[in-house]
Formats: sequence, structure tokens, C-alpha cells
Amino acid sequence: MSNWEILWSARDQFWSGFFSTMEIFGLSISAAFAIGCGMLYLLEGSRPRLTVPLRVFIDGMRMLPFLILAYLLYYGLPAIDIRLDAWWSGVGALAVYHGCYFAEIFRGARLTFPPGQVEAAKAHGFTKGKMFFRLILPQIVMQTRPLLGNQLIYALKDTAFLVIITVRELTAAANSLSGTYFIPTEAFIVVIGFYWAVSVVMEIIVKQCGRFSAKRGFDNV
Amino acid sequence: MNASAWHMLMEGAWTTVWISGVSIVIGVTAGLMLALIRLARIPVVDQILVLYISLARATPLVTLALFIFLSAPTFGINLDRNVAGILALTLNTTAFNAEIWRSAFRNFSRDQREAAMAAGMTPWVTFRRIMLPQMMITSLPGLINEMSFLIKGSPAIAVIGIVDLTRVTNRISAVTYEPLPPILVACALYMAAIGCLVWLQRIAERRANRLAV
Amino acid sequence: MFEKNTSERVRSEQTATGAARSERAAVSIRHLSKSFDGVEVLRDVDLEVREGDVVTILGSSGSGKSTLLRCINWLEQPDRGSIHIGGQRIGVNDAGRPMPVRELARVRARTGMVFQSFNLWPHLNVLHNVTEAPIHVLGKSKAEAEAHARELLEKVGMSAKADAYPGTLSGGQKQRVAIARALAMQPEVMLFDEPTSALDPELVGEVLAVIKDLSAEGYTMIVVTHEMAFSRAVSDKVVFLDKGLIIEQADPETFFTNPSTERVRKFLEREES
Repeated sequence: MSNWEILWSARDQFWSGFFSTMEIFGLSISAAFAIGCGMLYLLEGSRPRLTVPLRVFIDGMRMLPFLILAYLLYYGLPAIDIRLDAWWSGVGALAVYHGCYFAEIFRGARLTFPPGQVEAAKAHGFTKGKMFFRLILPQIVMQTRPLLGNQLIYALKDTAFLVIITVRELTAAANSLSGTYFIPTEAFIVVIGFYWAVSVVMEIIVKQCGRFSAKRGFDNV
Repeated sequence: MNASAWHMLMEGAWTTVWISGVSIVIGVTAGLMLALIRLARIPVVDQILVLYISLARATPLVTLALFIFLSAPTFGINLDRNVAGILALTLNTTAFNAEIWRSAFRNFSRDQREAAMAAGMTPWVTFRRIMLPQMMITSLPGLINEMSFLIKGSPAIAVIGIVDLTRVTNRISAVTYEPLPPILVACALYMAAIGCLVWLQRIAERRANRLAV
Repeated sequence: MFEKNTSERVRSEQTATGAARSERAAVSIRHLSKSFDGVEVLRDVDLEVREGDVVTILGSSGSGKSTLLRCINWLEQPDRGSIHIGGQRIGVNDAGRPMPVRELARVRARTGMVFQSFNLWPHLNVLHNVTEAPIHVLGKSKAEAEAHARELLEKVGMSAKADAYPGTLSGGQKQRVAIARALAMQPEVMLFDEPTSALDPELVGEVLAVIKDLSAEGYTMIVVTHEMAFSRAVSDKVVFLDKGLIIEQADPETFFTNPSTERVRKFLEREES
């Protein structure tokens, strides 16, 4: 049997690794997106005492490697009697970490958001929350989509770190296959192909969104 | 944490610093060279580089490090794990740096290049004396930002058994049974290092903006 | 037919004024044509600039006057025709092939160019903007280049700003530095591409004054400009371009008081109003 045939016969392991990675990725970036939006809302200034600690937290997270945060959740938290298994530690770390990056991206766009629109919304009697979720947030998400797309790719790549805290995902699958059959080159080429394909698909989606928003003239209001 | 724990932690920090440092130096230079090659638009070579950059941007560092370290022996190459780690970080950062350099090239003022040509400068003198000094200033913020990303990605090399600042916290807690303190100290050290880079990036941005007048 | 007449008129005019001018051509342009995307910008242009002459090129925007100037130092490559600078052909070597870049650079160094948008190098201070090309193109020593640069900065009234960076200067100051930078190459001919068009009105005077001084010193200059009074005061010859054709070339007196074409008369009327 050639090496590639061996890999083909072990395709189930790749698939389960791939689905595991996509599950972790999908769940954590959804949570991260929600966290990012939530943080942006809190930074709107309705709770002024929260603003400074939140900014410090966001900047702090952005100065940490992702893995050390995963370590903190997986190895560190049990010291204060919070026990998460490797999978939940990984998802939690990804969500918080990338949530902070999302928040920072949104914040940058919020700074240049035209104040006239906010005034128009106020004049129409919008409440703060309604104005934020119906007017400000959708535009900011649309406007920052290239940065968000990049961040999604970073998040996808960060899922591979979880192999170090023993989560069974795509890279772990390649690692164990190459250990079993001694065909590391082929195993990793396949796995890198998976990551690459997902990234390319995400890039295409972001570009399509760009075309959609250009068609509606969002970019030159 | 006792004295030996501190000692181990410092050794881990040093490993992170020197491996990242070597990768940064190689990555910035190699990125510049790739950008130059891509500007020449040599058929085939150009397509290969586009593919490399796309792959390198999408491949997780952990996966890349494992790939290099595990598959080298099957080609009869016996790679030292430090070399494999540096190779992985370099392959990754070079792709990003190449894009930073390339955009600096593409955005370089045509007017200034014409002024150099009108003064009788050859393309090489124009590049060396007029373009490169300014491209270094305009690219520096992006390059420093990429350095931060490299350090944030550097714990990936733990996967091939290099004891860096992240991995060493495991070693320490295996002895002290107190995982939290070394992790928190490591966090503080990372923040200090990346905080420095962020600060440098701001200075570099200010200098770049001054040039843009 | 018509062109021959005017050029003869210019020649006789100059012998009449008795100025001891060299008959050597600093720049000679023959049958120059150039199109961009099928639009003819220059059509069979002939122009002779003798050493020591100041020639101003007038014309409405889009007439091809900047393109003509940019062809002289090969920043634009003409489709047909030839350009000689001090007897040497630019852009094409003796074998009739495109010049190698090094050779082209050497010929370019015999001209000095001043751009509409100054194009100073922002990473170098004023002094080093002026010394950069003399050191790295002509191979002058640093000391020699700096001494010469300081003289030139004195001449354009910018010696006090030798250590300043371009980003801190006004437009007029930038342009005066750009003039010093071009002079530093000791060019055989100076090319000015609308040197005052990007300046605030109150800064135009200081730059024109510098160019006037240079003309009095006997520099050979070709100036593309919109400044009529200036053109009249400094020119030995005024050239009018319209849709890529030279439709009139004459001494300034004739050109401004008694132009021979209707097109130029209309142009001058509009400029006066």
C-alpha cells in the first residue's frame, strides 16, 4: 500500500478531526462575536465606570499569546477550584481571546462613525439599545468585514494550539496518524490542505459580502 | 515560587526571546527579497510565491512546526528542534512581511521616483538611496506589528518539545504543584515584551506620518 | 512654410540685438510624436534651443506642453522623432536600440528638472536633497558636494533652512530647494514643468524671482508655464503649443503684441481678462 492509500483508509480520523476543529471554531467564534458586540455596547458609555477596566482587559488580552490564556484556563483555574476539561477550556479561551480582538476592531470603526447618524436616530426617538443594535452595529460589522475576515483566519489557526492541551482536533489527528504509520509528510500535507481550504472559503465569503455591500453603495455613503 | 522556579522561568523566557529574535531578523530580510522577486513578475516563480504566501497565511504555526520537525527525518534530514522551530516561525512571518514590503513598494510615490530618474540616478541607486530608506520608515509599523504576532505565535514551538516561556510553566508546576503563579508571571512577561513592541510601533507610526507630509 | 518664417524672424531679431550668443544647440528636437491610448499628444514637433536661451512653452492645459518637456529627459518615451541634448541623442543609442538604463541615466544627468509638485525626497533634509545626486550620480566627494550645495542654497535664498526637512517647508520654499537640487547637477539645460502651478498665489513671486535670476546668469532653460508676464520678461523665445502642434514660436515682443495666429490671439485675450 502506498502512503496515500494508507491515509485514504484512515480518512475517518481526518474527518472526525476536521469536524472537531470546525465545531470548536464555529462555537468559539460565534461566542467571540457576541462578546465583541457586547463589549462594544458596554463601551458606548452607558456604564462609565466599566469603560476603563474593559479597555485595560481588551488591551491586556491583545498582548498575550493565545496558548498562555488556554494554559491559564486549563492548568491555572483548578488552583481556584474551577475545573474545565480541555475542550471547554479551549473553546472558552478562543471565545474570550478573539472576542477582545473583535471588540477592538469594532471600537476602531466606532470612533469614525458619523455622529450625524446618531443624532438622526435620537431625533427619531430611538432608544440607546435599539439604536445600537439596529443602526450602529450592522454598519460597523459591514464596514470592518475585511478585518473580521482576517481575524476569523487567525481564530481558525489558533484552534491548532489546542492540540498542546490535548484537545483532539485536526492537527492532533495528523499527529497521531503520523505516529501510527510513520507517514508524517503526507498526513500533514492533507491537514494543511484542510486549513487552507477553509481559509480560502472564508476569504471568498468576505469578498462576496464586499460585492454585496458595494452594490448597495454602503462603502461610499 | 522558589529560586529554581524563577531560574527555569527566565531560561524559558530567554528561549522565547532568542528564537523569536532570530526568526524576526531572517523573516524581515527574506520578506524584502520575496517582495523584490514578486515585483519582477517572473512567470511560474510568481505563481509559486503567491501559493506559498496563501498557504503560509492559512497554516497554523503548531501544524507547521510539527510538519517540519516530523517530516524532515523521512527525507533523511536530521533537524535540531530549535532549527525546526525557527524554520516554522520564519516560514510563517516571511509571508506576512513580504506583503508588507510589497505594499510599501506599490504605494511608493511615482513623483519621487521620477525626480530621481531626472537627476540621472540608475534604478539601483534610486532603490538604495531614495526608496529603501523611506520604505523602511513606512513599513516599520507593519513590521513591528508582525513581530508582535510572531511572539504571540511563538508558544507553538512547544509542540516539538522546545521549552519556551509557555511550556516552562508546565515544568515548574510539575515540581511545585502550583500551576497558577508561573503562568501569571509568564503572562506578565509576555505583556511586557509585547507592550514594548506596541510602544515602539506607535513611535514608528509617528515617524512614518511625519514622512508622509 | 510658416514655421520657417518665424524661426528666421527669431534669428534675425537676435542678431539685431547683438547678444553674443552661441549658435550651438543645447537641445534639438526633430519630428517628435507621442500618443497616449490613441490620442495624439505631440504631433511632429520640431524645436531648437540654443545654449544660453530661455524658452517658455505656453498653451492651454492638455496641449501637450508638459509631455514635450518630459520627453526631453525621457520620462516619457516618444513614439517617433529624436531629441539631442548637447549633441547626444537621448533614449536611443548609436545602434538605434533603446539605451541601457545606465547610459540613459548619464544623459539624463545632463538635464536638470524642476517639477510642478516639487518631488523633494522627504527622508532627506534640504542639504542632502541637494547633495544626493551629485554624490551618488556624479561621484563627487561629500565635502565638495556640500560646499556647492550651500552656494546654491544661498543663491535661492534657502541657506537658513539647510538642516530642515521638506515636510516643514512652504510650497515656495520647497520649489526653491528643488531648483537648487536641479542646479547641483550642473546641467546643460534646466527644465521647468509648471514650477508655480501648485503654489499659493502669494508664494509664486519668490519662485519666479529665482528663475529670473537664473536666466540673467545665462542658464539654458525651458520653462512650461502659465505666467504670461513672467514669460514675456525672461524669454528669448516663446513657443505656443495647441493640440500637440507648435503653432507659433517667436520672440516675446512679437508673440505678445503681434501674434500671427488667431488661436494665440484668443488665448492671450482670455489670459488678460
